Amino acid sequence: MDSTATLSAESVVDLPVADTFALFGSGRSEAWLFDARCERVAAGSVVSMRLPIDGDDRRCGRHGVELLGRISAVRANSRIVVEHDQPWRGRIRLAFDADGAHRTRIRVRADVTASGIDWLIRRGGVALPDPAPTGALRIGLLTTKSGPGAVYASATQYLAELAVAEVEALGGVGGRRLELLVADDATDPALAAAEGARLVRAGCRAIFACTTSSSFDALRYAVRHDDVLLVHSVINEGGASGGESVIRFGERPGDQVAALARPLMRAAGGRRWFLVGQRYSWSFGAHHAARRVLGGAGGTVVGEACVPLGTTDFAGVVDRVAASGADIVMSSLVGADEVAFQRQCAAAGLRASTKALSLVMDESTWEHVGAAAADGVVTALGYFQDDPAAGNADLLRRYRDRFGPWAPPISSLSETVYEAVLRYARAVRHDPDADAAHQGRALLRPAGAGSAIGERDLLGRHLYLAEAGPEGLRVVDEAG
Amino acid sequence: MSTGASLGPVTSANENLAFDALSDRVRRRILSILGEGEFTVTEIADRVGVVGRTTVSSHLRVLRTSGIVTERRDGRLRYYSLDAEGSVRDAFNFLQSLLESSVRVADREQDRPDAARREAG
Repeated sequence: MDSTATLSAESVVDLPVADTFALFGSGRSEAWLFDARCERVAAGSVVSMRLPIDGDDRRCGRHGVELLGRISAVRANSRIVVEHDQPWRGRIRLAFDADGAHRTRIRVRADVTASGIDWLIRRGGVALPDPAPTGALRIGLLTTKSGPGAVYASATQYLAELAVAEVEALGGVGGRRLELLVADDATDPALAAAEGARLVRAGCRAIFACTTSSSFDALRYAVRHDDVLLVHSVINEGGASGGESVIRFGERPGDQVAALARPLMRAAGGRRWFLVGQRYSWSFGAHHAARRVLGGAGGTVVGEACVPLGTTDFAGVVDRVAASGADIVMSSLVGADEVAFQRQCAAAGLRASTKALSLVMDESTWEHVGAAAADGVVTALGYFQDDPAAGNADLLRRYRDRFGPWAPPISSLSETVYEAVLRYARAVRHDPDADAAHQGRALLRPAGAGSAIGERDLLGRHLYLAEAGPEGLRVVDEAG
Repeated sequence: MSTGASLGPVTSANENLAFDALSDRVRRRILSILGEGEFTVTEIADRVGVVGRTTVSSHLRVLRTSGIVTERRDGRLRYYSLDAEGSVRDAFNFLQSLLESSVRVADREQDRPDAARREAG
């Protein structure tokens, strides 16, 4: 078990208790209470809290760090409890007590696990020793615990842990135990390369990457001479093969646009598209694919904007969309950038004049955008919690049993990692020590019929079409 | 790693030295080299490549003051290595300082009466 330490601090502020309590989540209190942001101060609300760790220095590729989690308990004007999952799992408890009529004593307590301390030390640049090799078959998860990608990767580690636990419960891989090491790329390709090399040094035979394409490319280059299987296990633009030891699972943007273009143009009553994305390979590939598909479907691209990863102010982009007369806005933005963009589109009233297609609107991103701002956004992904596939209800139950009611939602991005780890364990069970190319070939061999959870066909291009409503992303159709 | 240990005295601002120390790219590079073992200044400078021995020495002095690197003398040679316990202690101190600053309302916040009000809903 992860051991836990509790830290605490308190102070007295010159405000009545109700006013002090009301500052939480308002987003106007600067560093106070970590500049917490949430739509409502209510149990179940998602919350993000800024951590002032080495600033937000983009010059060296570093993004700001946020605690992402959920309010788990509230007593008005008295108590707030936040359970967070990113960058580490922990709990923050706030207590507000009146100190006379005009002053409030506020106490904050944080439960910090050993893995939280590990994360902080590594974030500081100190290379902690990796666990000594055991007889277990070691695999790595390169995920994103900080920076803009942390939003969509919230549940990834949990789903990877769940897959490993289920493999272990069935006796491991070919009689060997399966062991998972986890690394954070901080949405930074340079860190992805360094952490990938560390996972290889620690003896990982395969690395599952739930990261941006830039990070995956950097990882691939960093370990190109090593005997390690690389699996990109989230939606990506495809292409750029690295031989038999590099596998890219997940949805492809061309398929997503093909599935949604015609219904969206019908619903919008127009054919003019505006593409918004980021300045790296994912958006470049996605927009290229979209232009090709739209050309064949009678759509026209009337504008395009690509911004650096880590953008939070989209005022200029929103203005350009409005001025373009577009009927449909397609966004390939990811994570916190997509959250900011969709919120600003809704606030600017764009929903009244345009339909919105978001390529990476998974459940986790959706809840950070918020139900009101996300209303009507459509997407197409291989998995949704609202998934009719066999075994899904059981997966959701096992996940909640293990990680509790406040853990982030499962989404296509994390479920694909779960599927990929299970599939790997099945594929290499006869020869866990085979070289990476052998393992890659085995992983690509057809396994299972296709749509059931735990045996989902990650190479097929089956998509569910979903629309954001008041309760979340609702599956409305299927394609492929 | 055990983190259930006592947290020691409440920290002061300059006990966050290590996290400041790590803001430098060369120092981060030195730390990743020390992750592989114990080295002399010359060995570290050879591996860092881009800066000289004198610069590496001054970076090592900062890291040693911060408590994340320790020095061992053997005759005329000095060997440097990571101080894992120092790193853990520093991480706790850093978190403690975050918590303390989080409950301190900036003066200007209290000066603005409207800052304490939220919009309905």
